[in-house]
Amino acid sequence: MNRKYISGLLFFAGMCCLQQSYAQKNEASITLRFQYIANDKPLVLADSTYTNAFGEQYTITKLKFYISNPRFIVKEKNNKEASVFLIDAAGDDSISFKAPAGEYSKLMFSIGVDSALNSSGAQAGALDPLNGMFWTWNSGYVYFKMEGYSPSSTADLKRMEYHIGGYMQPNNASREISLALDKTITLNKADHQEILINLNLDKYWQSVNDIKIASNPLIMVPGSLAKKASENFPAMFQIATLH
Amino acid sequence: MKYKVIISFLFFAAASLVIISATRNDGYGPYKPTYLPFNIPKGWPKPTVNYFAKNRLTEEGFQLGKKLFYDGRLSSDGQVSCASCHQSFGAFATFDHDLSHGVKNTFTTRNAPALMNLAWMTKFHWDGGVNHLEVQPLGPLTAPNEMGQSLDTVISYLKNDTSYRRMFIAAFGDANISSQRMLRALAQFTGSLITANSKYDKVMNGQDTFSNFEKKGYDLFKLNCAACHKEPLFTDNSFRNNGMALNRFADEGRKKITGLPGDSLKFKVPSLRNIQLTYPYMHDGSIFSVPQVIDHYISGINVNQPGLDSVLKKPILLSKLQKNQITYFLYTLTDTAFTKNPRFNPDAPVYYNH
Repeated sequence: MNRKYISGLLFFAGMCCLQQSYAQKNEASITLRFQYIANDKPLVLADSTYTNAFGEQYTITKLKFYISNPRFIVKEKNNKEASVFLIDAAGDDSISFKAPAGEYSKLMFSIGVDSALNSSGAQAGALDPLNGMFWTWNSGYVYFKMEGYSPSSTADLKRMEYHIGGYMQPNNASREISLALDKTITLNKADHQEILINLNLDKYWQSVNDIKIASNPLIMVPGSLAKKASENFPAMFQIATLH
Repeated sequence: MKYKVIISFLFFAAASLVIISATRNDGYGPYKPTYLPFNIPKGWPKPTVNYFAKNRLTEEGFQLGKKLFYDGRLSSDGQVSCASCHQSFGAFATFDHDLSHGVKNTFTTRNAPALMNLAWMTKFHWDGGVNHLEVQPLGPLTAPNEMGQSLDTVISYLKNDTSYRRMFIAAFGDANISSQRMLRALAQFTGSLITANSKYDKVMNGQDTFSNFEKKGYDLFKLNCAACHKEPLFTDNSFRNNGMALNRFADEGRKKITGLPGDSLKFKVPSLRNIQLTYPYMHDGSIFSVPQVIDHYISGINVNQPGLDSVLKKPILLSKLQKNQITYFLYTLTDTAFTKNPRFNPDAPVYYNH
């Protein structure tokens, strides 16, 4: 009887430990919040007019993009966990993920969707084709979608549409964003860290490459143009504040 | 002390039972799908991609896919279903039509490909723009000259229909009706459309014999056609420029997808199975009979066409008799057990808007 009592006790102790490890993993929760800036002013959709580096005026009606695999880097060791989020300037502007407790000096994520997820059939959640970010006639995801109008556009109705995507080499448009934190942060178990990130549209038009509305008001297919536009993504993102 | 342990155990067991049954019961009984095997015909290669690894074939998933396939209410005018252009009696191509009809009296710009042995394909459409069996229906569902419907409308229609609700529960275990599940059910149906029971197959399996005429046609076929139309699928699934000139839609085929100038006028090599039923032929349905297709390869090719496939640069020389022999061999690829299979045919008569 004694032995049975002990084994029962051990069983319950085991169950409790298991529960605890689920409830309190040694990790902190992180929120990345995005704010959109153009000409040093906050972006207002379908309203304000902005000017790019080439003096071309434009308004934005839609801005949506995928963030994949957000993570902190510990001494260049990559704790990559596959995840994907859809950010919409007219909707959800933040994402949340978990990171193991530790000291961090760099934040990384991708603008894009892992190649494998572009070609492995029907997806759900952020990647549901209902979100309007999947090309039906040329399978694959639009990674970054920006639409609006510009007097410099030669397209119908002065439209400008940038649907930047493509998972096949040599024109893969997914870009890794690496943001150094201005100070090393220590995340303890159950901490909550919020990071505000600026998306500076001025850099979309000019950083590594020049994207002129007059020459390319529409980029709607994967290819070398989409790749060129995607090469400007890394310069668009800066950390505004660490809370 | 002992009874406390026993009671705790009993409580734990009861709690687990409640949790397990609650996750799978929506008032329609427990989730018990009938799993189906995916049978590879004798002597065939294994499919490159296993489409049913994550999307396991079940009778319930297949039946849901079949209902979706034959349902015209998925389209914007309520009349165009997948089956409108993929007709069972035409080996799931559009019978006797160069181009298919979409909603509001529209035409497509390409000939509807036959849906058969899709599980052996890794790229879909004449230009290979679709990279997985599951995502293929997104094109025709939303194209304005096909079913012309938004995906949101399709999903909300399915959510508001009690028979679909019941069938989604039977196929997937709960009432979550999502685009992913709809597409997976459709893939279970379309991926099951296997044709491997023609006279040719029976001859290969030793159950039948070719006539002398068919046998001569088979030998000529192997010499002149099999480089691209590879047995046993009668396609190597490659994209090739077969000497068809740029058509009135300025359709450059594969180039539209890859952006590569070298891919101009490349189209997918279609399977020749059931060729007797899939006329007219070529990506735009511009050739109406098998002998005329053979004529194209004998004398219709512009040998100076840039990018012409290298296997077609050497002329194919066939007499009228030989042409007929090849034609009669190709007719041995007709599989009526496939086209008339009640499992693939609609349970009730279908209205074809053609």
